[in-house]
Amino acid sequence: MRILPNLIQNKFLNLLLRFLAAILTIAALTFLMQAFKPELANQVIVLIYLLPVMLSTVLWGLGPGILAAFLAFLTFNYFYLEPLHTLQVHANQDLILLTIFLIVAVVLAQLIGQARQGERLARSREWEATRMYELISALARLQDVQSVAQVLADQTRETFDCTQVEVTTLEKKDEASAAARSIESAVAIGEPSSRVRLDTAREHEGELCLWLSGGQLSREEQRLLSAFTSQGALAIERIRLARGEKRSRLLEESDKLKSSLLNSVSHELRTPLSAIKASVSSLRSQTVDWNAPERNELLATIEEETDHLNLLVGNLLDMSRIESGALKPHRTWNAMSEIVWGVARKMRSQLQEHHLVIELPADLPLVPTDYVMMEQVFTNLLSNSIKYARMGTRIEITAAADDGGLHTQVANQSPQVPEEHLEAIFEKFHRITEADKVTGTGLGLSICKGIIEAHGGRIWATNEPDRFVFHFTLPLTLDGALPDSPREIENG
Amino acid sequence: MDKDPAILLIDDEPQILRALKTILAANHFRVTSAVTGEQGIAMAVAQPPDLIILDLTLPDMDGIAVAESIREWSQVPIIVLSVRDSEKDKVAALDRGADDYLTKPFGIEELLARIRVALRHSEKTLGNKGSLIKAGTVIVDLARHLVTLRGEEIRLTATEFKLLAYLAAHADRVLTHQAILTQVWGFEDYDHVEYLRVYIGQLRKKLEQNPDEPQILLTEPGVGYRFKASE
Repeated sequence: MRILPNLIQNKFLNLLLRFLAAILTIAALTFLMQAFKPELANQVIVLIYLLPVMLSTVLWGLGPGILAAFLAFLTFNYFYLEPLHTLQVHANQDLILLTIFLIVAVVLAQLIGQARQGERLARSREWEATRMYELISALARLQDVQSVAQVLADQTRETFDCTQVEVTTLEKKDEASAAARSIESAVAIGEPSSRVRLDTAREHEGELCLWLSGGQLSREEQRLLSAFTSQGALAIERIRLARGEKRSRLLEESDKLKSSLLNSVSHELRTPLSAIKASVSSLRSQTVDWNAPERNELLATIEEETDHLNLLVGNLLDMSRIESGALKPHRTWNAMSEIVWGVARKMRSQLQEHHLVIELPADLPLVPTDYVMMEQVFTNLLSNSIKYARMGTRIEITAAADDGGLHTQVANQSPQVPEEHLEAIFEKFHRITEADKVTGTGLGLSICKGIIEAHGGRIWATNEPDRFVFHFTLPLTLDGALPDSPREIENG
Repeated sequence: MDKDPAILLIDDEPQILRALKTILAANHFRVTSAVTGEQGIAMAVAQPPDLIILDLTLPDMDGIAVAESIREWSQVPIIVLSVRDSEKDKVAALDRGADDYLTKPFGIEELLARIRVALRHSEKTLGNKGSLIKAGTVIVDLARHLVTLRGEEIRLTATEFKLLAYLAAHADRVLTHQAILTQVWGFEDYDHVEYLRVYIGQLRKKLEQNPDEPQILLTEPGVGYRFKASE
């Protein structure tokens, strides 16, 4: 730990220097004291010698302090106690003085040293806590394993005294492995000094390798390092769990969608199939002699239901094209009236119970659309109107060109749709009524939306007094251009 | 004709073959069938039929290639019958040799009508090509450059007449946008579908009882137009 980062790196030299400093302090004091020797009583001198002991302990630690205590004890004995310049003591009084001095000096040194160590420990704990906090808050923001590995490598290298850190995470079933490296200057060669596993309670997530600048990690450093790696492992695990949860949510949704599709499709397919099967088997039956109108009725049923099945298959195909992005409109210049009237003609029998009003201005500009897809849009909007609007009500188709393009409206007198459903009705399988009450796959409007959006337009619905209106807009330019005015050819 | 017309079916789906053979035989056609493109071409060479009904999805080759191949040496009418319903496929088939296109599933009345039109058309191309084409109360006189509606002459611009004449000369056949534009305006205008929209609109106003619900100049969605002549 770089508590005193400027301190000389070599610990042994460092220790030696500190002891040397303690010796020098005693020497300096002894030298100084020689000048005042005659004026001072031994009791005072003893007290004065406590000072360098205290100083050494405070400045250089317990060891140099104890050394200073012994040195002071010896020096005092040597220079001040009879017989002078020997380490012998004659007077009992002096012996007591010397003994007390030694005890006081050592105890003092120890007390001060402990206090100092305690303070140093507190400071290093605080520093550790700060580094941990930094790491945790950096990891908390991350959403992918690779950046977790990188942040862990960087922070480890900054915190510990090392030249290089590498973090590798294991490949999990749907997660690629990640590797990150943080280096001080050049890439380290050789084996790492230390390898630490990234483990959580449940899983082994990877490994952290570090190349130390020199020496070994202290016990506190090892403790901090393992705290670092377990934070890293937890962050990786958190990301994997979050991802797994998201995936399972998506799967669940798509499952729901699939079963909704299957329900709807099998119901929709079986209904016409039952009608066809019933009619055909009746006609083939030998026991009944059908008369002409009855036979015609059965045959008409078969034909209508076959068309219905075909429409259904077409819808499913369109939907899958829209979903896969394969729906590419072939846009050419078209007259909206041609499309609308064409659809009206094709749907004449379905529209029998309603009153269809088409009001298109004669000067409506040509619009670049895929003819067949636009037919489909009108077919679906009209089918929807027929399904939900009461018999005998009006269905109106109007269109006008404005700044936003060609704005077309299909209005019917069906019940209002709650505001919160207005957007959702264009989503697939969305129905506001229960599935069994109205036939259809729930795909019609979403196909309209897919087609209109593929044309670069917009589709939406509004409630108006006594009416429910589908709106859609289509751009009036093709690749930024308007239609060429037709070229009149020469007579000949 | 003293003999029933011969139809060659090229389709690899047994259900369709079974149904069509029964129905066509009941309608007094002689029917032969092939289940691959190769076999179909070989049979068309060996015993030239009066009409070919061709599926586009064949096990050995694409139906359009079959049509192209037959078209190299024969003018026999080809009606394409396919589940492929994209306009691109229709246009490709029509532009490369097919005379008509029907999407499966189809109504049998529709198929029989198309067969009759194709056979009549091929008789005409063999010789007695009429210059008077009737469609309801409209008569197009190709030789005299004259169009009448209920006996009264309708004034058409040169472009309108050329367009109507081309459609009428190929009455009851689907003509693709590209074919019409190239024939009437010239090759450089082949993609100006907007010309057609405008001129067909003008012709409908002059000829149709209700231009919004045309009976003569019919739109083939996404493909082209068809002039519907009276039988």
